[in-house]
Amino acid sequence: MELSIQAENLSPEPIHLKLNRQPTIIAAVDTSSINLGETSRGLVIAIRGACVWKSNKKYNYLRLGPFIFHITEENKGEIYNSLLRIYIPNHRGAANPSFNQLPLRMANLLERWLQASIAKTLNGGIILFDGSLTAGTPDTPIQQLREILKSARERGNVVLAFAKMTSLRINGLIITEALVNYKPPYLVPMIDLKLKPPLTLLGDIYVAKLSTGNCAFRLDIDKEIPHDQRVDAVEKLLGNDLINCGYPETLRLAHILCTFTANEVLAMQHYVRRKHRLKIIDRPDMHKLLFGPFGKGEDDNETL
Amino acid sequence: MRLYKKEGNVVQILSFPDENLEKGDYLLIEDESAGRALIVQVIDVQFANVPGVLEELLRSLPDGGEIIEGEDIDPLDIAPHITYIQDAKLLICKIRATIQGGGLIPSSSWLPSRSQSVIRRLPISTLLKLARVNGKRPILLGETKENSPLMIDASSLDGKLNIITGKKGTGKSHLSKLLIISLIQYGATVVVLDLNGEYAGLGITSDGKKNAYYDKVHVLVPSENFKVALSQLHINELMSILIHALHLPGTSAREFRRIWQSLKQRGCLTLNELGEAIRNWHCNQNVKDALFSRYYTMVNSGFFTDNLSEAMMLEEALIKANREGGAVIINLKNTSAMDRHMIVEYVLGKLTEMLTNWRLKAVFLFAEEAHLYLRETYWDDIVTRMRHFGIFTTFITNQPDSIRESIYRQADNIFLFNFTNEHDLEVVSRAARVDSETVKSIARELPPHHCLVLGKAVEDFPIVVRIKALDVKTMGETRLFFS
Repeated sequence: MELSIQAENLSPEPIHLKLNRQPTIIAAVDTSSINLGETSRGLVIAIRGACVWKSNKKYNYLRLGPFIFHITEENKGEIYNSLLRIYIPNHRGAANPSFNQLPLRMANLLERWLQASIAKTLNGGIILFDGSLTAGTPDTPIQQLREILKSARERGNVVLAFAKMTSLRINGLIITEALVNYKPPYLVPMIDLKLKPPLTLLGDIYVAKLSTGNCAFRLDIDKEIPHDQRVDAVEKLLGNDLINCGYPETLRLAHILCTFTANEVLAMQHYVRRKHRLKIIDRPDMHKLLFGPFGKGEDDNETL
Repeated sequence: MRLYKKEGNVVQILSFPDENLEKGDYLLIEDESAGRALIVQVIDVQFANVPGVLEELLRSLPDGGEIIEGEDIDPLDIAPHITYIQDAKLLICKIRATIQGGGLIPSSSWLPSRSQSVIRRLPISTLLKLARVNGKRPILLGETKENSPLMIDASSLDGKLNIITGKKGTGKSHLSKLLIISLIQYGATVVVLDLNGEYAGLGITSDGKKNAYYDKVHVLVPSENFKVALSQLHINELMSILIHALHLPGTSAREFRRIWQSLKQRGCLTLNELGEAIRNWHCNQNVKDALFSRYYTMVNSGFFTDNLSEAMMLEEALIKANREGGAVIINLKNTSAMDRHMIVEYVLGKLTEMLTNWRLKAVFLFAEEAHLYLRETYWDDIVTRMRHFGIFTTFITNQPDSIRESIYRQADNIFLFNFTNEHDLEVVSRAARVDSETVKSIARELPPHHCLVLGKAVEDFPIVVRIKALDVKTMGETRLFFS
């Protein structure tokens, strides 16, 4: 999830990077969710997570799911809070997310659990997260993310969070577009950023331009990691992973592996129908009915 | 299976992997509420256009095409469903008939219900019963894909024009031998114009013993046991040979007719006397030269004789075959192109004469690579005039473009073996009794000894059959250098 904040300043001095080919395991985590359809009582959704790691020049993956849920108005609180208790054991209180937010919120819970798991199992590696190190959201309590980062540090890992999109601006421009043209790869630190409570930044924010071309990304690095170690971690990433359009291949694969294809959606709908006799209702799309070719349809507005 | 689309007489059916259907299979689309059912045949099997398949394939290839290794923890066991959807097939089917009121009608104009129709495989044996592909004189061609026997009725070849075609080594001659043997079993008279001497072993088993047809197979080898005496020839038969096979010009032909009549009046129709008569005949030197050149061609062929005891074999063999059923094999293997034309001209003339005089009832003529010995005008004769005389021809060729388009258009049965060449398939697809898509799609993938039967023999339901083995001596194999 990306948050909109205002940057006060951008360091004028970029950090130029070199490739460090010291063998280092690169691991990445991502999850996705999808709405499989509507039943007479609620929604059928699916979530899936993927961990990808590169060691000895070879990519490997572990994919969990898909997990399919039939969510109704009656069971949505119970399902979400059960997952919350499992994934965040120290979490207190209960939440009651809205129907539309639920798939994304459940995928976020799975993602944090996978991140915690990999932080506790990998040693001396680079862990890539999809998104930022902003905590204080309903699915990312500050304490939980702090513990994930701590576990990672204790095992000599460095967490790097890449955000594909950002709304951070400097002088009215998106930060990733406001860079002076230096020769990549380099990082530009953003300094003195403050968020409105309860949101907290557990990482320092950089703009990372890791390869030639127009692609730069927001990169959050664990605040508790010393500066030299941060640079070393990004250089090890450059030396051990493929960087395509400025984005690490391991993280790209994690994203690809967890995202559902149309074929998989059909297969899951097939499963739901065959195994559980759930009939997915083909409800008329009022946008399309009313606006014809000018109606984009509700599906197009959905966040998958 | 679910009905997906219908356009013209093509139906598209969505099929799932466990249904395991292939090209050539028949399906029945039953619409109970309409009280009708469509019989369709699968002519192509494609992958269903399942969305997301490309992404699915691409994402397993991250880096230089190397497959990413990993583990899927799939607690709900969704993977088989994904495979099931990915492997969904689209069956492209041609409508062949409609079942209504227990009978078959050719209509394809109605549309079965997409939601209510039940689609199931139609066993070929059931289809054959429905179409009444049987009869009093069954010929067992072989087995269908479902291992059920395919019998056609000998009557479906009677009075018909047939083509057996396919590329080299696919089993054309084998099928024609099977048809010949089956026809003579039913007492038919068969004449084979055997270009490569392949049919000479029809009466002998593969281990060299006499088989049941031995006495019914008469092999005539021109210039050996098949010769003609001039005195036995009718002037018209000889004029046909001279004009059509030896291309004698009109003026010379008139002079020859006079010479012939003169010799006949004197009762000395021999080769020697004919040569002397040409030599002494008062006519233009060019005409004389033209007559001499044809005369020497005739003499050198060895096909003509003055010895009456060694002549007349064809007529005898035909009469015997007409009486008991049998095949007369004209072995053209060792004859030159010119001699072949002469011999075939004589044989066809003799057949026409005997049929006209009702000395023969009807003849099944099997002509292998007929373009090598049949004159141009015979092609039209065969489809128009000759069938009225009672000559029912089966052409056997591996060069489909050597047969005229008019023959394909009027062919009653086509026995089509494998062709991969687009041009060859295009030629065969001009046949009127089947649509070109069926020909092109199914024939291209036929394995050796498998034949797509089209036409009246199968009541216009194209059926793939594996031709049964025959225990006859194989002749006319390709001579090899390295073995």
